[in-house]
Amino acid sequence: MPRSTRRIFLKVAGAGCLAAAFSGGFAFKTLAATQDPNAQYEYTGWENLHRNEWTWDKKTRGAHLINCTGACPHFVYAKDGVVLREEPSKDLPSFDGIPEYNPRGCNKGACAADYMYGAHRVKYPLIRTGERGEGKWRRASWDEALEMIADKVVDTIRDHSADCISVFTPVPAVAPISFSAGHRFAHFIGAHTHTFFDWYGDAPTGTAQTCGIQGEGCETADWFNARMIITWGSNPLTTRIPDAHYLTEAAMNGTRLVSISPEYNATSIKVDQWIHPRPGTDAALGLGMAHVIIKKGLYDANNLKEQTDMPFLVRTDNGLFLRETDMVDGGSDAMFYAWDSKTRKPVRMKGSWGEQPKKKPPVQPPFFGRNTLTFPKGYLDLGDLDPALEGTFKVKLKDGTRVNVRPVFANYKEQIMKDYSPGQVSAITGVNAAAITRLATDYATIKPSMIITGAGINHWYYSDVNMRVFHFLSALTANDGRNGGGVNHYIGQWKPVPLPGVGALSFPRGGQKHRFCQTTIWSYYHSEVYDAMENEGIDTAAFLKESLDTGQMPLYPRDGRDPKVFFCYRGNFLNQAKGQKYMLRNLWPKLEMIVTANFRMDTMALYSDIVLPSAHWYEKTDLNMSHEHTYLNMTEPAVEPLWESKTDWEIFRLISAKVAEAAVRKGYARYYDEQFKWARDLSRLLDDYTDNGKLETDVAAVEFFLRKAPHTKGITLDMLREKGAQRFKLNWTSPMKENIPYTPFQHFTVSKKPWPTLTGRQQFFIDHPTFFAMGVELPVYKAPVDADKYPLRFNTPHSRYAIHSTWKDNVLMLRLHRGGPLIELSAVEAAARGLKDNDWAEVWNDHGRIIARVKIRAGEQAGRVTMNHTPELYQDLMEGGSQSVIPIRLSPTALVGNYGHLRFKPNYYGPGGTNRDVRVEVKRYLGAAPA
Amino acid sequence: MGKQVAMVMDLNKCIGCQACTAACKSLWTDDEGQEYMLWNNVETRPGPGYPRDWEQDGGGFADGQLQYGELPERSAHGGEIPLNHEQAFSSGTEIRLQQKEPMGYGANQDEDTSSGTYPNNYHFYLPRLCNHCTKPACLEACPVRAIYKREQDGIVLVDQDKCQGIRMCNRACPYDKVYFNYVIKKSQKCIFCFPRVEQGVAPACARQCPGRLRFVGMLEDEDGPIHKLVYQWKVALPLHPEYGTDPNVFYVPPILPSSFDEQGRFSEDPRVPMDYLRYLFGPEVDAALITMHEEIERKKAGKASELMDLLIAREWKSLFNIPDVRVA
Ligand code: SF4
Ligand code: SF4
Ligand code: SF4
Repeated sequence: MPRSTRRIFLKVAGAGCLAAAFSGGFAFKTLAATQDPNAQYEYTGWENLHRNEWTWDKKTRGAHLINCTGACPHFVYAKDGVVLREEPSKDLPSFDGIPEYNPRGCNKGACAADYMYGAHRVKYPLIRTGERGEGKWRRASWDEALEMIADKVVDTIRDHSADCISVFTPVPAVAPISFSAGHRFAHFIGAHTHTFFDWYGDAPTGTAQTCGIQGEGCETADWFNARMIITWGSNPLTTRIPDAHYLTEAAMNGTRLVSISPEYNATSIKVDQWIHPRPGTDAALGLGMAHVIIKKGLYDANNLKEQTDMPFLVRTDNGLFLRETDMVDGGSDAMFYAWDSKTRKPVRMKGSWGEQPKKKPPVQPPFFGRNTLTFPKGYLDLGDLDPALEGTFKVKLKDGTRVNVRPVFANYKEQIMKDYSPGQVSAITGVNAAAITRLATDYATIKPSMIITGAGINHWYYSDVNMRVFHFLSALTANDGRNGGGVNHYIGQWKPVPLPGVGALSFPRGGQKHRFCQTTIWSYYHSEVYDAMENEGIDTAAFLKESLDTGQMPLYPRDGRDPKVFFCYRGNFLNQAKGQKYMLRNLWPKLEMIVTANFRMDTMALYSDIVLPSAHWYEKTDLNMSHEHTYLNMTEPAVEPLWESKTDWEIFRLISAKVAEAAVRKGYARYYDEQFKWARDLSRLLDDYTDNGKLETDVAAVEFFLRKAPHTKGITLDMLREKGAQRFKLNWTSPMKENIPYTPFQHFTVSKKPWPTLTGRQQFFIDHPTFFAMGVELPVYKAPVDADKYPLRFNTPHSRYAIHSTWKDNVLMLRLHRGGPLIELSAVEAAARGLKDNDWAEVWNDHGRIIARVKIRAGEQAGRVTMNHTPELYQDLMEGGSQSVIPIRLSPTALVGNYGHLRFKPNYYGPGGTNRDVRVEVKRYLGAAPA
Repeated sequence: MGKQVAMVMDLNKCIGCQACTAACKSLWTDDEGQEYMLWNNVETRPGPGYPRDWEQDGGGFADGQLQYGELPERSAHGGEIPLNHEQAFSSGTEIRLQQKEPMGYGANQDEDTSSGTYPNNYHFYLPRLCNHCTKPACLEACPVRAIYKREQDGIVLVDQDKCQGIRMCNRACPYDKVYFNYVIKKSQKCIFCFPRVEQGVAPACARQCPGRLRFVGMLEDEDGPIHKLVYQWKVALPLHPEYGTDPNVFYVPPILPSSFDEQGRFSEDPRVPMDYLRYLFGPEVDAALITMHEEIERKKAGKASELMDLLIAREWKSLFNIPDVRVA
């Protein structure tokens, strides 16, 4: 079947209409320019063929509701009930003096309708007849499929426990209504749902550790305001296609661009300087910069004193913060001191965790360590205080003993000066020492200066340290909260700005009455992953046991049960799973029923028991947003859901109805939920789901959603349809200002309210036993993990031709590269293994094996293998997928949940992906291969 | 002479994303026989491009004489090779999702492969479409005069009623931008989205370019961006001017990052050899790059630069200077 059968569809659907082509009216002369400039071309009217191809009878709003941060508003053009094409809507408002967001789109978005009519489409409910993954199906009626599901749900609740049912659906920022459907269903039956931001390896745990916030970044228009930009472990030209123009345009506006990346990538092409450290040595490079900045005195001491924990005192005897409990009876263990240089006394610092704002916050921003926004403005202002950053002082404890104390900065500076001179860092990173000095000097002296970062630094065992070092650089230079400055993290479609809307629709009785599992732990535990960390002398099991036993991190189902029923939609869970081999081997057999709803047959669907056909993005009403811009936009049906597909909201409405029926039929409607003290009644499930009929439809759910959050106050669906995307009224950590791009953290840096951390400051010192055990109580460089005893690092960046696995199977996208998954190698490593371009090769380690074709790239660094992440398991590889050689490794620091702002909250704090800390070997594949 | 619509692409802004390719494909070449065609393509340079080694196929004019080059082999385009979805999803075997036949050469086979040696390797992206030449070799070569150049905008079209499938145009075009539809046996090519241009709407490749680098307008309009970039600033150059067809698509040549010396220090030597840029854009490229550097330096020093502001194109519509620009 060709790539797209849209035209063919149209021919069938609109036979007759096509004949009504343009009628004449274009009788103009044409000129054969060179042959005979005077000869007139006799016009035949054939041009109407093309004029007619660019016509439509319906134009609707559309969006691509996948895990893509673009959130690009589109128009969708249909004719005779067939969607022909889409185009960016180009009606996003602009900021004065800054290039427009228009036209926002990309290569994938320009052929998104392919999934409506292509061979990938799931058209009817399917029930598996062969083995899982084998691809043997029979078509079922909706009724039959729903009944099977409902029976299983009720039986599982009755015979096991409601929390043996698991619902995975990620990313509320795109399609919040679809997202809420499954969560709402899970909420009312007592099933558990999943985190995704951490599991996907996108959550910057170092930002939660430093700032008490799950992540933040400026909207990309603000890139243009920077005078220097470092893209660090981020390749926006490939992975942020609609935003990349701000980099090239900033360069033309005189902004200095530096790309830090082991390989020469699409972004490196556009910069002034490309710096290529050895993979995984970024923290060392950053500390080398800090060394230069401190040594040259280029840092902003006032900023460190006011905004960070740098002046906070640390005891030299036990290495811990000096706390109020040490100083006074009945003191708080969450109040801290600095040394006032003027009065030469320890002073208790305001705004730390032990102090609550007088005013209770109306809404608790759920992704914060705590809400500090009701503290008065200027609370962090130092006034007459002059906290010391250096020196050793003596303080008298409450029991009269005297101990030495030193500011955090003094300790950190000592370490940085000792271990991270440009020469030392050059030896670690391979970057020339003079280049490090230049980079640091430019970064500290050009203002504002911005770090743009992403997956390249975030998929390491010690990725939290990388982020902490970046935050430190930004704090040293006081770049936070400035337009054009800061550390801006772009990975993951994680920021549903109007979060209260998501909460109201997904968890009607509140998040405290909802079961969130931490997906990385869930997958590690239930898949029985072998992580080989004993090779690094780290006992993961001990850290995990401690974390789970003391309730620091959650695990569902409780009481040692196995998950039994798994619902997955809007996510290709199995295909994307780290530890995939373990998951298939150990978790899949535990699952008695796997249900997937999707419009395309992805790997997850292929390995499911029941597949339900869901509506394509152009066949339903929903919302779309991103942290890359501040404009809420929408999608609406260009056509009704094709074949027998239904919207996600409708699917879970139907499941709820059937479960209610089955519960009554089986005489098991009421049960008491001990954990939440909730007398549940499954016979009411449909009424609960629709809120007694108020939320029957997708449109009703959208309107409810919009009403629930102050961020979307006054925005209506009609407005989004007629006027186009609407800007949020409110945001998370900075005010929304008219005509100025959003940049985070101004509530703290400008309004001077406490940061939501334990110390109420950007916190670099974390005096928790696990951090000491790992040697990262301060952010210092930790070498990549070499638990796999293989020679090459394995690198899995995002591709230009797919959003994760979506579009990996699109014929046009495939033919725009090499038609299938690739193993990319430097010429050096290929030659060492006798590999030629396009050869079949085998990549393996103890966890699994991949067989795919080789591509040799002159811009790739020796010592590693690159494979764009997550081709479908069934794609043109002979074996495996990118995740086949990747285990799950839980970073112990991310298992901490009993320290001030370090607590489990869904998608705020928990272990993530360490997929770049994997080693493999490659060799030529000599078995039989397709031509 | 009639009027001429033209395009300038700033290669410093092209991110190689292929949105242009996909936009064009979805709009115009979605029919049978057109699967392999990419009227717009983007290739990594240096590299053999699409179709493979098109620069070696000949064509164009030499000393005013029309040259007939080689027809590109069909395999040099790489095809759109269907996938075996039914087998992979529902055959009940371990069979993989595979192209039924191997793809062979791909339209973008050498993407990001890069030339030279790490860390001084170099490459950039080059989007290509029909140049709607002032001296179209394709037109000159057609024995049945099925090709014409429109008076009102200079767009070069192959009349689908008249074309006999003789393919002399394919041989004459030095840019290999005429494609043969093997199903209906006619030559087909980029139509510069004339139905849109007629309505004041820029071509799909330009309008959907998220890099915001494709200027479209009338060449002779002295107030328009094209005229300024081509004639006033002289930073926009035709590709392979020596082919003699007087292209109306122009490129601002790329500036690449600093290279490294033996010790790993930043060096003044250009990363991409000037000879390579001269090969692509002719001898004018030296002066164009000097102008670009000078103007960027002005901006770095905090001074104004009309040229840079023009290329930044804060307002999206400023890219387009076609009569009565609309947002359709
Ligand atoms: S896929 Fe993402 S980047 Fe591409 S057009 Fe859609 S939303 Fe934008
Ligand atoms: S590029 Fe080729 S096809 Fe286009 S006008 Fe010039 S000669 Fe003709
Ligand atoms: S759409 Fe624009 S940026 Fe993307 S490849 Fe085409 S010309 Fe380049």
